[in-house]
Amino acid sequence: MSRITIDPITRLEGHGRIDIFLDDQGNVENACFQIPELRGFEQFCVGRMAEEMPVITNRICGVCPEAHHLAATKALDGVFGAEPPPTAVKLRELLYMAFFVTDHTTHFYALGGPDFIVGPDAPPSERNILGVARKVGLEVAGEVIACRKRNHEIITFLGGKSIHPVAGVPGGWSRAISADERVQIEETARKNIEFARFSLSIFEKIVLKNPVFMEMVTSDTYLHRTYSMGTVDARNQSNFYDGMIRVVDPEGNEFVKYHPSAYCDHIAERVEAWTYLKYPYLKNVGWKGLTDGMESGVYTATPLSRLNVSEGMATPLANAEYQKMYEAFGCRKITESRYQPIHHRLATHWARLIELLYASERMLELACDPEITSPETRTIPDPARFVGEGVGSVEAPRGTLTHHYVTDGRGVLTRVNMIVGTTNNYAPISMSVKRAAEKLITSAAPDEAILNRIEMAFRLYDPCFSCATHFLPGKMPLTISIRDSRGELQREMRRKL
Amino acid sequence: MTAGTVIIGMGNRLLSDDGVGIAVADGVGKYFDGRMDVTVSELHTGGIRLMEAMSGFRRAVVVDAMLSGAPPGTIRRFDQHTFVTTKNTISSHDTDFATAFELGRLVGVHLPEQVSFWGIEAREFDLFSEKFTDEVAAAVSTAVRSIAAEIQEWESAP
Repeated sequence: MSRITIDPITRLEGHGRIDIFLDDQGNVENACFQIPELRGFEQFCVGRMAEEMPVITNRICGVCPEAHHLAATKALDGVFGAEPPPTAVKLRELLYMAFFVTDHTTHFYALGGPDFIVGPDAPPSERNILGVARKVGLEVAGEVIACRKRNHEIITFLGGKSIHPVAGVPGGWSRAISADERVQIEETARKNIEFARFSLSIFEKIVLKNPVFMEMVTSDTYLHRTYSMGTVDARNQSNFYDGMIRVVDPEGNEFVKYHPSAYCDHIAERVEAWTYLKYPYLKNVGWKGLTDGMESGVYTATPLSRLNVSEGMATPLANAEYQKMYEAFGCRKITESRYQPIHHRLATHWARLIELLYASERMLELACDPEITSPETRTIPDPARFVGEGVGSVEAPRGTLTHHYVTDGRGVLTRVNMIVGTTNNYAPISMSVKRAAEKLITSAAPDEAILNRIEMAFRLYDPCFSCATHFLPGKMPLTISIRDSRGELQREMRRKL
Repeated sequence: MTAGTVIIGMGNRLLSDDGVGIAVADGVGKYFDGRMDVTVSELHTGGIRLMEAMSGFRRAVVVDAMLSGAPPGTIRRFDQHTFVTTKNTISSHDTDFATAFELGRLVGVHLPEQVSFWGIEAREFDLFSEKFTDEVAAAVSTAVRSIAAEIQEWESAP
């Protein structure tokens, strides 16, 4: 394959650019999803006081400021050698569960769900949350807005600000909660549980009981047998706020479990000549290109991969749904409570709803914890314990998020590194796009059908390029270019706003 | 019931010209300093969030960076009928503003009677910096005056 120089990204259309490269026989050789990268972040941060990071990084992304805020705050715990008291840890996790509920709810009803609920071949103008409302009832759309509102209220008072939380400080959380606020959180969590169960029932009715959709979910179009990654607690059960990073191989055997601070020993980045994207992969497996299997270091970090590494779910209702999903795919149990991994990528939508239920139940557990209203929310950093380096990691809705800071002896940043959730999935996203392209581009399928199926491929990962890009169901300004083995443009498909 | 006016500055103030909408919204807020019925808010992402941010207000002004190909610093006003998108009014994780607004209306969210959108053409929008480029910096005061005049005009209408 000849080296392709990617065209400079044009201002609007370039935001969603997919390049598909063909080999000499005209078959798909590579596919990649082009993402305009933001520049200068490290230079922007170096020279600042480390404690500014939770309020700087929560502006990196308008979609998950809470995830960046918490990863940054945890990294600062490390920099200042200040271990937060139990109540602070619980308040952080509580805020995070409220965030997960809004994020996963919105994805299902507004972004991922329309493909199923309205249908993959419905016109783009109907494949949105209004189409969902028409199909399942307006009151459901009202419930989505109500769910966002009640959880945003909690995020606002727990985080100290409505959009960009500010409560995270090294060694703790700057705001305790009152008994009345605790009651409001508990009531919200109970409503969240009911709504999550309702959402799973819609999924069951519309997808699981529809043979056409089930065939689509279980087909090999979006099947990739990669390694799976997720954060687990001491019982090896999925936890979004804290734990060890667990990776299982495509058969489900534990490959490695490491502390997030050891990420450099396990993750490397691959640069390919035909794209400026860097593909993270498992260093100790190795890079074999955009391919799956035991020998390829490509891994996935998504709701589905998190369930694949988890020994059941830590809450009862989510655990029952977890078992139901694996049994529906005919997976064999390989430990007392874990199954063979699912590699059918469209099942990520199902896994996301199971995580929604887990986050709701976990929120209730935390709200009912006797320590949650304690005023002891801060360990004041002790200069004698100052470390000058810290790694903070959480599970963002779209994958494991890692912040790594190094400072000088005064706490001034000298080095900053970050692996954001979506970055983990660059290789699998490209593989799913490639697979969709393989099935479609040699056929006589019209542009619209190709655009739809390729959109479905990346949408299931809920990729986040929010600072620079806009991707919408059926409304994203997407350009797909198909190039031959000499890099010459053969066909171009565009969807404009 | 809706009351008062909200000025929503959109974008990221750490990303060069992307933060111009926030600076303009702050400027309009200063112009109406002391007025309890004028609120300024900052928002990074659009879609459903933007619809939610204007709920409860009678009037809303949205100010955002724009990437239309016009010369940097160009200021354009859109009403709801002429508006498609500026840089941040869409959310990549849910929907565009028009769909979100329609959704809000259908489910009974109290939405403004009047909404205007102001776009300021950006030059630099993917570089981490707290500075605007010259043309964009020069457009801020003009945009503030134009928006303040529009709000006064709305308020003086019967």
